[in-house]
Amino acid sequence: MRFTICNVGLTFGAVVAASGAAPAPAAPQATPVALVGARIHTAAGPAIENGTIVFADGVITALGAGVAPPVGADVVDLSGMVVMPGMLDNHSHIGADSRDLNEFPVRFGPQHRIRDVLSPDDEFWKGAVKGGVTTVITGPGSGEVSSGQAIVIKTWGESIDERVVKERGGLKIAMGRKRPDQSPTTSMAVTAMLRAKFIEAQEYQARWDAWEEGGQEGPAPPRDLAMEAVVRVLTGEDRIRAHVHQAHDILAIIRLSQEFDFSLAIHHSTEAYKVADDIAEAAIDVIGMPLFTRIALADEVMATGTLMNEKGVRFTFHTDDPVVGSKWQRGNAGLGMRYGMSEQDALEAVTINPAAIAGVEDRVGSLEVGKDADIVVLNGTWYEVSTLVTRVYVNGMVAYDREGEGS
Amino acid sequence: MSRRARIGAVGVAVLAMAALDGGRADVQAQAVALTGGLVYPISSEPVAGGTVLFVDGRIAAVGVDVDIPAGAEVVDVTGSVVMPGIIDAMSYYGIAGEDMNEVPSPLTPELRIIEAFAPFGTFGSGEAGEIRVRELLSGGVTATYIGPGDATVVGGQGAVVKTAGARFDDLIVREPAAIDITLGGRPASTYREQSRSPSTRMAVVAQLRDLLVRAQEWLAGSESGSGDEGAAGGAAAAPRNLGMEALARMLRGEIPARVQANATRDIRVAIELAEEFGFELVIDAGAGAHQMRDELADRGIPVVLGPISHPYISGEEIPDPGDYGGVDERNAVWLNEAGVHISLASFSRGFGRFGPGVAGQWLLIDASIARGHGMSEADVLRAVTLSPAEVLGVADRLGSLEVGKDADVVVFDGDPLSIRTWATQVYVGGRLVYEREN
Repeated sequence: MRFTICNVGLTFGAVVAASGAAPAPAAPQATPVALVGARIHTAAGPAIENGTIVFADGVITALGAGVAPPVGADVVDLSGMVVMPGMLDNHSHIGADSRDLNEFPVRFGPQHRIRDVLSPDDEFWKGAVKGGVTTVITGPGSGEVSSGQAIVIKTWGESIDERVVKERGGLKIAMGRKRPDQSPTTSMAVTAMLRAKFIEAQEYQARWDAWEEGGQEGPAPPRDLAMEAVVRVLTGEDRIRAHVHQAHDILAIIRLSQEFDFSLAIHHSTEAYKVADDIAEAAIDVIGMPLFTRIALADEVMATGTLMNEKGVRFTFHTDDPVVGSKWQRGNAGLGMRYGMSEQDALEAVTINPAAIAGVEDRVGSLEVGKDADIVVLNGTWYEVSTLVTRVYVNGMVAYDREGEGS
Repeated sequence: MSRRARIGAVGVAVLAMAALDGGRADVQAQAVALTGGLVYPISSEPVAGGTVLFVDGRIAAVGVDVDIPAGAEVVDVTGSVVMPGIIDAMSYYGIAGEDMNEVPSPLTPELRIIEAFAPFGTFGSGEAGEIRVRELLSGGVTATYIGPGDATVVGGQGAVVKTAGARFDDLIVREPAAIDITLGGRPASTYREQSRSPSTRMAVVAQLRDLLVRAQEWLAGSESGSGDEGAAGGAAAAPRNLGMEALARMLRGEIPARVQANATRDIRVAIELAEEFGFELVIDAGAGAHQMRDELADRGIPVVLGPISHPYISGEEIPDPGDYGGVDERNAVWLNEAGVHISLASFSRGFGRFGPGVAGQWLLIDASIARGHGMSEADVLRAVTLSPAEVLGVADRLGSLEVGKDADVVVFDGDPLSIRTWATQVYVGGRLVYEREN
């Protein structure tokens, strides 16, 4: 048996085949499925003991302690198991080759779209699926002042196009110092460039408005894909996702958001704890550092979630995969609890909060009737990393089953 | 205003974090008895309601019926778990990034990591952060192996150090403790970028083999009359060669070779070289080691594994699937089942640094993943205490709660494998070096 593993491991394709990720079926099954007997963390209310979840055609149709499985349903006994919503990761780089994440020579490139480089290959996504992360906001990197547009997408499904939950996943900008070989290099210059670009976008839009108001007389103004992306932020069709570590840069991007009236979520947010009141007053969203294992962070940073919850700020963790592997998003929540978050707050920080921040809470992020049947089954306490994810449903279909894995 | 005050307070906390806290040798003379805890000696079965007594920095007694000497400080730790300090079998704790690799030369056995070890940091350098030990101690880590980086082929000599002590010399447990060698794609890529040799795996191995041949010759020469006795007899003494002296220690079996190898082909080369030159081999990182577990078990070759959540792949942030198809979270579990001697290590680059390993403070939490995959609690805890002590050659002093060993003791406020559990007291050499109020 061990020889088998040895042989399988040497052939990468064979490993993929043995990884337990199930092939995507053509359509969600019409026969209802009823998961019964588990402890259910819905993220929409208190945990339900010995609960039942029914779903059909990829959507949750009934949920509760006293729900009887419908006649003809496939009943899955999950006694002793724990169920939680498919998790979200609001800041990820999965789905693309890492060499395609940063167009360094273009310092301001909002026209770049992560969607254009996403691979349907299972290899890019299976880590997230196996960890119970079923929706990610994946986007370009942080080397430029703006690296482009992110997308909200499920981690498993028939095709990239069908997996898209929301096209507008946020326009990425990166605050703070940059590489010294090309301006802007200082935080000052980065902020100044952003201000100039927002003004340019206002002027760009004004030209189009004038042309429209003038009855579209004469040639239309030339289109500018970069400016169109910025205009979408100014009109509220998209929002800014700002890579920002230092407190002064957090304050700078808050100032810009007020000056140009755009919706803002700050990412990484390392020194958010130093400006928590400013963040609360500005009512922006905070995507906190990946806590699980890779970077030794100060206690104050580790406790960011606790502080943000106290201040009434909407908070979520991210993995920044490949900084931390997608599958350890649960570990972020567990460490958040270690540093003072309540279990419910920690749960919401990896489920409904990132869904709301991404603007997709009508479909994912909690287990409620009418929402997508994105469901994670575990064999113990959900926030312990010694607990295993045993099965993952996406759109009501089995996307991962641990029993299919080689040993 | 309150914001500024908070920032100021954080700054003060950083400065207070140096590993050395001045001479307080008097504290060591005190007897301390930790009573009422669930004691995991590691070398023997757990003891409920046990007492751990230490005197003059060493363990004096462990058990339920312990006579506590008059004047001893008695600390009631009922409801807590008492364990030996966690030992991180591989990290770069206290080593500045620019001091990790002597890149201009691929073969530098003469280098000693202890000479770059800066547990007190450099004030104002911006590097002070990386020597913070409060976080490390909060995870119960009391000792670690440190070694040169893995960008070159033979990095030099590693050491075993403690994470806290009254004086610099108190931190050093064993030096040199091993020769650090790296196989695989990492050293080759270092020199390929510079259009220099060794730029392929072949050349890496050829240069290493050639160096070991020179060391064999040097050792033979130094043992055949031109050494100390020969000098006394009038023959000219062989000129000293510090690199060869270090390798001679390895070839004589005084210290092992720590060979970082992930892919099966690199592990195979390491085994072949160990056979050929007769040195004691420890495989480092070993992301694909489970694929060779029976051979490793048969030959009694220990493995110091990289983190379970994020396997350490030779300095590359993202594993190259073509090279490391065998990466699997169950690596440690499978090796352990096959009877391979395993230690779990962080490969941490220190505080505030993103590296391919994990932060040392989370070593135990990372290890808990192995528990989830079926490794027994006892085996998981051994892999971060007594097993690393054995592989580092310091089991006479560290790794378990046994009479006579150093009083490096951690008190946890619950299940040591829970993500929510904290070290509440950490003793190193019998001195309380970390305390957390819950």
